[in-house]
Amino acid sequence: MSAALELHAITKRFDGVPAIDAASFTARFGEVHALLGENGAGKSSLMNVAAGLYLPDEGWMAVDGRPVSLAGPADAAALRIGMVHQHFKLIKPFTVAENVLLACRRPSHRAGLAEVTEAIRREAAALGFAIDPAQEVGTLSVAEQQRVEILKVLVAGARILILDEPTAVLTDEEAERLLETVRRLARAGAAVIMVTHKLAEVLAFADRVTVMRGGRVVAVADPKTTTAAELTTLTVGSEIAPRTERRGTPGPARLVIADLAIEREDGRRPLAGASFSVRVGEIYGVAGVGGNGQTELAEALMGVLRPSAGAITLAEAGDITAAPPAARRALGLASIPADRYRWGLAGEMSVNDNFAIGHVASGRYGGWWKVGTRRLRVDAAAAIARHDVQGVRRGGGANAALLSGGNAQKLVIAREFSGHPQVVIAHSPSRGLDVRASAAVQQALCAARDAGAAVILISEDLDEVLALSDRVGVMSRGRIVAEFAAPADRHAVGRAMVDHA
Amino acid sequence: MTAFLVNWAAATPAFAVPFLFAALGLILSERAGVLFLGVEGFMLIGALAGAATILTLGPYPIVALVVSMLASSLVAILFAGLVVGLRVNQVLAGLAMVFFAGGLTALLGATFGWTNVAFSGLPKLSFGPLSDLPVVGRILFRQDLVVYLAIPAVIAVQYLLTRTMFGLKLRAVGENPQAADSAGVAVQGIRFVAVLMAAALIGLAGGYLSVGTSKIFVDGMSAGRGWIAIALVIFARWQPWRALGGALLFGGIEALIPRISAVGIQVPQYFMLMTPYLITLAVMVWIAVKKHGSFGTPAALGVPHVREERR
Amino acid sequence: MLERTARLTDETARLLADEAAAPAAGGPRRLRVFLEVRPAISPIADLLILLAAVAVGVALSAGILIAAGVPPGDLYYEFLVATLTDPQNLSAVMVRAAPLILVGIAAAIAFRVRFWNIGLEGQIIFGGIAAVLVGLGEVGPPAVRLALMLAAALLAGAAWVVLPLVLKLKIGVNEIISTLLLNYVAVNVLLHLIYGPLQDKIDNFPHSPELPAGSRLPLIGWEKLDAGLPLALAVAFIVFWVVRMSRGGLYMRFIHANDRMALAVGVPITLVTAATVLASGALSGAAGFLLVAGQEYRLTPSFFGGYGLSGILIAFLARSNPLGATVAAVLVALLFTAGQSLQVFFQIPSSAVQLIQALIVLVVAASEFFVRHRIRFARTGGAR
Repeated sequence: MSAALELHAITKRFDGVPAIDAASFTARFGEVHALLGENGAGKSSLMNVAAGLYLPDEGWMAVDGRPVSLAGPADAAALRIGMVHQHFKLIKPFTVAENVLLACRRPSHRAGLAEVTEAIRREAAALGFAIDPAQEVGTLSVAEQQRVEILKVLVAGARILILDEPTAVLTDEEAERLLETVRRLARAGAAVIMVTHKLAEVLAFADRVTVMRGGRVVAVADPKTTTAAELTTLTVGSEIAPRTERRGTPGPARLVIADLAIEREDGRRPLAGASFSVRVGEIYGVAGVGGNGQTELAEALMGVLRPSAGAITLAEAGDITAAPPAARRALGLASIPADRYRWGLAGEMSVNDNFAIGHVASGRYGGWWKVGTRRLRVDAAAAIARHDVQGVRRGGGANAALLSGGNAQKLVIAREFSGHPQVVIAHSPSRGLDVRASAAVQQALCAARDAGAAVILISEDLDEVLALSDRVGVMSRGRIVAEFAAPADRHAVGRAMVDHA
Repeated sequence: MTAFLVNWAAATPAFAVPFLFAALGLILSERAGVLFLGVEGFMLIGALAGAATILTLGPYPIVALVVSMLASSLVAILFAGLVVGLRVNQVLAGLAMVFFAGGLTALLGATFGWTNVAFSGLPKLSFGPLSDLPVVGRILFRQDLVVYLAIPAVIAVQYLLTRTMFGLKLRAVGENPQAADSAGVAVQGIRFVAVLMAAALIGLAGGYLSVGTSKIFVDGMSAGRGWIAIALVIFARWQPWRALGGALLFGGIEALIPRISAVGIQVPQYFMLMTPYLITLAVMVWIAVKKHGSFGTPAALGVPHVREERR
Repeated sequence: MLERTARLTDETARLLADEAAAPAAGGPRRLRVFLEVRPAISPIADLLILLAAVAVGVALSAGILIAAGVPPGDLYYEFLVATLTDPQNLSAVMVRAAPLILVGIAAAIAFRVRFWNIGLEGQIIFGGIAAVLVGLGEVGPPAVRLALMLAAALLAGAAWVVLPLVLKLKIGVNEIISTLLLNYVAVNVLLHLIYGPLQDKIDNFPHSPELPAGSRLPLIGWEKLDAGLPLALAVAFIVFWVVRMSRGGLYMRFIHANDRMALAVGVPITLVTAATVLASGALSGAAGFLLVAGQEYRLTPSFFGGYGLSGILIAFLARSNPLGATVAAVLVALLFTAGQSLQVFFQIPSSAVQLIQALIVLVVAASEFFVRHRIRFARTGGAR
């Protein structure tokens, strides 16, 4: 078994911060090599370097023993490296064969299509599944689309396959079949690299595992001789996030979500009847693997996405399902969106304006004719100090776009919490933040809860959800499939996340 | 009555041609993801180039039409460079090109004396006995060359889009440039070429206006046909055969306007001139009302392409 | 200690990737040029790039004019010296500037709420028609006649933009095409009127009868300057105040900066958008009023000519800022006036002005690329 792919001391920085820090990695032909780590460990970034999508700042790469330098995905394809991404790169209106043809690029359309169709049938048969090359990709199920992605790289001649979180969107059964396929590919001589955060898969299917944490490679191990506990320690470190102190007991239900569903034009239902309730003075955590409807839930709660069915009821106010964001804010709803630059802040506007916009409607900062800038500035300065927003220049007059991620988030929180909200919807609030900023965010959420708000925390970070929540709901395929009370068993929650009822 | 209908039907194809070729060009560009709002202006460029060729080189209409296509493509290099290369907002650039071309053609036309000068243009072809058939003869067998090229053009564009590798890449780039990019397709290159090809067809449409129909160049002679073509393409769901239908519809309307008083219907002149625009507006409304989600719109239309993380 | 490094989050990727451009295709493998997005730009650098772009545009335009037969020395003289030093020319510039200010602001405020109001000319036409109807009909006592004419123009201009506005808000019809199509319709209405019911019976030319004395804007004493300019300046100031200081203006600026966030944060987008677009139409209508009641004193077949593109150009140069629009309007007025002299003395057709305007728009649009990106040189990976 020779070295198929070698990455040596790769470093890649974004915005000055290293996403990958001097990471080295070797994969051999004929083996299934798992790249294991939590969200944000750098696994996908490292493989993006291997696939020619990212240019490393430092380090070098070798394929089949020879050093190479990739200028783009085409170079990677020429070196017979194929990557199946987590977010499929398929052209929905095209057929399976057309998608594969696009990637394989034969000179003649007619001959190429025929060739590719034949190759698809052959490879699919070898791997044990059937697929109709003439079917439109948009009509295929997610698992089938994934197969198309795999066929794409195989027909293009890939011998080094990189699969990025392949089982993330599959049911248990489908995942099982995929992993069997993967194993078959490896036995046939390919080098298969599987990027994953799922321990169980690694133990069952991988021949070797490289563990990454915080952008660095921390260990290379043999799953046969390593225990799950050891792997867990390597992946998450030995510290477990401490649980925050509870204060007081939750009151009656304030926000009730009943059977919320959203149907898109193409028939997909990202939300398929989600139901849960949140009480006064509690944090309800919505856990789940990304892509199971969390974003749609958050948007429906914020009021920017109208549900096709179901109801959102606020105690004392009634049905707010169709209420626009302005009305919800007036009723005391605050939201911390996941994508702060898209939903949370207007970069071109000043920090002060971004703070004040939340309350302008209430008349606090002057009437229609003139906005009361003095009071605005005072309030903003106070809130900024209270929430420790750093990097604010020119007394709040500088653009909000100049704030770093952590401070931008704190500004959003400063705005949202300045009105003593009754309900807080926090969607991945600590995403992309460093330890200190995350802690500040979590503190703010707890403070809101202690002040009597009903807090919904939607997050893909299981640690965060488990540490903060009083109750945890697991979201899967657009529904809440299980609920746990704190202290929740991490194992049980994790299993519910990948279990599809 | 029959005479009226035959006259009308015989006149329609020539009026439909500019709409059709402009629409075909737009289809190529927009299916590659690039809005081509400058149609109005590029038609003027084609029109002027055609007129200029005949006025300077002599009565060679076919050469003139080829020059129209080339001139339009040449100017389109500027447009493509801006929107594909420099990622300029496609709407703004398109609008600016309309005015740019309008001003340029007027200036050149005045400076070189090409404006308001009549010339002999594209002759109608004759097919001998076939052309003398009572009804069918007039409608089908007494048109000029470009009209006869219309259907082959539709077939050619359709073939290009669906049966060639270039067409496959073009459609991919318009639907999902990220996917096309990671499949190794040169997104920018394909878009650039698509824009130039579109400009050639649009230039031909404009050239036909001066060389084929009016046989004169007048400032602003495209008279809004470009905008109508844009609506037409949406109406045709970016498909060449449907565009033909739409072109015939609008060609028919345009052919009808001068003839309607002959039937005894008295409509004030300027109100009649308004009709194409009002009908286009109605079509836009109808499209928007019908449209719910996927309608055939190229998914990446109007969005400049960026690789997620550029190296 | 559990370390978290900042990783490529969706937001960061978007921030980086937003309008990021490709490096030069191909090129040597070792050394590559590529572009990265600037997170923010200082207003001074922004202004400098804008001025540089305008300079380039002007230079190119000068080149075109010289190629069209204007001797370079005369070009400089006509454009700068004659226009600015001769009081007659200067007043012509200021007179021209008044409706341009209104139209520029009209375009600018509409763009701010992401509504491409290309129908400026149609709104000017209807504003002019309404004003002339009121003026010719001598509606109301002379003391308030002008105010009534202005009011009529405002209403007419706003009315002509209602349909595209409603179509966009309710069913998503693209406003560029709808406003444009209505332009063509408006021109035809105008032609119908001045060749028909409103034709001047005295000389049978295609224009309306002259407005009576009580329906004309008074001159304000200096050369040929009429009350239009002070009016336009007053309007500019009011708009500036509203945009900068009022609550509605704050909403407008948020919608412009990030309309999704504005929605999420509770800004009444529909209300603000509708109000702004209607105001835009009204302002264009007012420009029409200035044109007919200020100088021509009648409707003519092309009294609105050139104002559509000018409005867009002004809004664009001013980056949709009302005060900047005033300055830009004066510059465009300068261009027009000088253009007229060139037409008279060197037979350069008026379309040259349109060409120059479009050229400047294109150059400034292209320059935005440099505002948003920074060029960087780097080595490719693979070196040991």
